Amino acid sequence: MRAAVIRTEGLTRRFGDLVAVEDLSFAVGQGEVVALLGPNGAGKTTTVRMLACLIAPTSGRAWVAGREIREAPDEIRAIVGILTETPGLYRRLSAWQNLRFFAELYGVRDADARIEEYLRLFGLWGRRREPVATLSKGMRQKLALARALLHEPQVLLLDEPTAGLDPESARSVREFIAELRGEGRAILLCTHNLPEAERLCDRIVLLRTRLIAAGTAGELKRRLFGTRVVVELANPRPGLEDALRLPGIGPAELAGGKLYVGVEDPRRDNPRLIKRLVELGAEIVSVREEETTLEDVYHELMGGADAQD
Amino acid sequence: MRRIRAVLRREWAEAMRIKMVLFSVCFFPLFMTGFAAYLVWQGRALPPQGQAVLLNTALIYFLVLPVVIPLSIAAYSIVGEKEQGTLEPLLATPIRDWELFLGKSMAPVIPGLILSWAAFGLFLLASRLILGEIPRGVLSLPWFLSIFALAPFLALFAVFVTMIVSSRTSDTRAAYQFSSLAVLPALIPLIVYSARLTAVNLAFVGIEAGILLPLNALALYIAVRLFRREEILTRWR
Ligand SMILES: Nc1ncnc2c1ncn2[C@@H]1O[C@H](COP(=O)(O)OP(=O)(O)OP(=O)(O)O)[C@@H](O)[C@H]1O
Ligand SMILES: [Mg+2]
Repeated sequence: MRAAVIRTEGLTRRFGDLVAVEDLSFAVGQGEVVALLGPNGAGKTTTVRMLACLIAPTSGRAWVAGREIREAPDEIRAIVGILTETPGLYRRLSAWQNLRFFAELYGVRDADARIEEYLRLFGLWGRRREPVATLSKGMRQKLALARALLHEPQVLLLDEPTAGLDPESARSVREFIAELRGEGRAILLCTHNLPEAERLCDRIVLLRTRLIAAGTAGELKRRLFGTRVVVELANPRPGLEDALRLPGIGPAELAGGKLYVGVEDPRRDNPRLIKRLVELGAEIVSVREEETTLEDVYHELMGGADAQD
Repeated sequence: MRRIRAVLRREWAEAMRIKMVLFSVCFFPLFMTGFAAYLVWQGRALPPQGQAVLLNTALIYFLVLPVVIPLSIAAYSIVGEKEQGTLEPLLATPIRDWELFLGKSMAPVIPGLILSWAAFGLFLLASRLILGEIPRGVLSLPWFLSIFALAPFLALFAVFVTMIVSSRTSDTRAAYQFSSLAVLPALIPLIVYSARLTAVNLAFVGIEAGILLPLNALALYIAVRLFRREEILTRWR
């Protein structure tokens, strides 16, 4: 794996009696986008706040760009860009003034040129002098993103970057995040938008106070569901699924004229499966691999976690 | 220094856009100066004892000013950050807690003092125009000590109290009302001065300082403790 830019070990945060994040360990490598997924109250924002050195962990450790969050918080803040859950802009000040203020706090060199660059990039240049209060929600979100990027941070923490945006704006923000990955930054992205996480992120961390699962979307799917083949039959016959006992070919299920069969290794098992079906007199219309989505993974895992409560 | 300057500039740019703040910052000094000048005019024919009472009252105005101006700026300054959700991105920058604290306390105090002193200058001018001279009681050490030495502490006290109150409310009006209690130390002289029919003297200034300094120290201690990143993000409401 690439060098970890963000790494946590047993990260835990309590608020009084409430455990917000417990024993969380994960890593984000350079040039990697990792999605932090989980239901409301799962501890995503709390995790981001700890990584941005805004609040301290109750226990556990975390490193950002090789520095420990409790030992070098000021250095970490200087190299982390954060998009907070709400844009958090000074509404009475203009877009320009907002960026100028943060550029000064971060000590950005050539601030004016940099601000202009980002305002143009996000299509806000024409409205740079208007109070932020008069900008649309999407424009404000982009302005907040520009603020997070102004000091060219190595590490980006994005808390729900596309929440509440119209599809068009959401897409342009997503495309922009994809570009940022290309520049070799490490990005941790909290989102409730599962297709977004699947498309945009290299790896997924599922969190519900504790780590539920982590891996690429593909790995998670295979781990949970294996590979399933859908065979459409012209003559579905009850009892067929029971006759399919073969090594490597898993439980089968007949529903709505289709046979759903789990297979271990499609290249090895699919031909055997089809041959067997033909032997059993099945008339096959089509065979395809079942598509599971990250959403299926999510509901499977989070449902399971529910049951444990 | 760079970051403190950035905070000051931003605070002022924002304050100028809030009508409430702008109103109190512009009009309080004018009103107070006007009242004070009126008192001087009223007292022009009175015996010295009567004059002393009126002058003492006039002095109170110039001790109230350094409280009310910073108060109206500070009440917005902190609650405004909460309302707009700007504390989190602000605290995510490399700004140090003490830099933010200093910026936040100086932003209201500096204009508060400048305007109070400008108002006092205006008052001297007005007295001169009205009476042809400045009353002797005004050009005295107790007056100057009050206005130039006590006023900064009154202003600071107002800001610390507002910070403390602001950490517990996210309603500008509530913050403003509760913080208005910070005006009390500025009124202590009122009670002392007007009870005795005598001009403000060094003993009164001493008593006032004796009350104000420990109060300030206490308020500063509490405000600094409240003004830590962790505290702001997790305990403030
Ligand atoms: N300052 C705080 N004081 C007390 N409890 C808190 C505080 N901040 C967060 N919590 C609690 O910690 C838990 C995790 O909250 P967090 O905001 O991290 O969740 P999240 O995953 O970001 O949720 P969402 O998807 O709704 O944004 C919640 O139960 C929340 O109520
Ligand atoms: Mg959240």
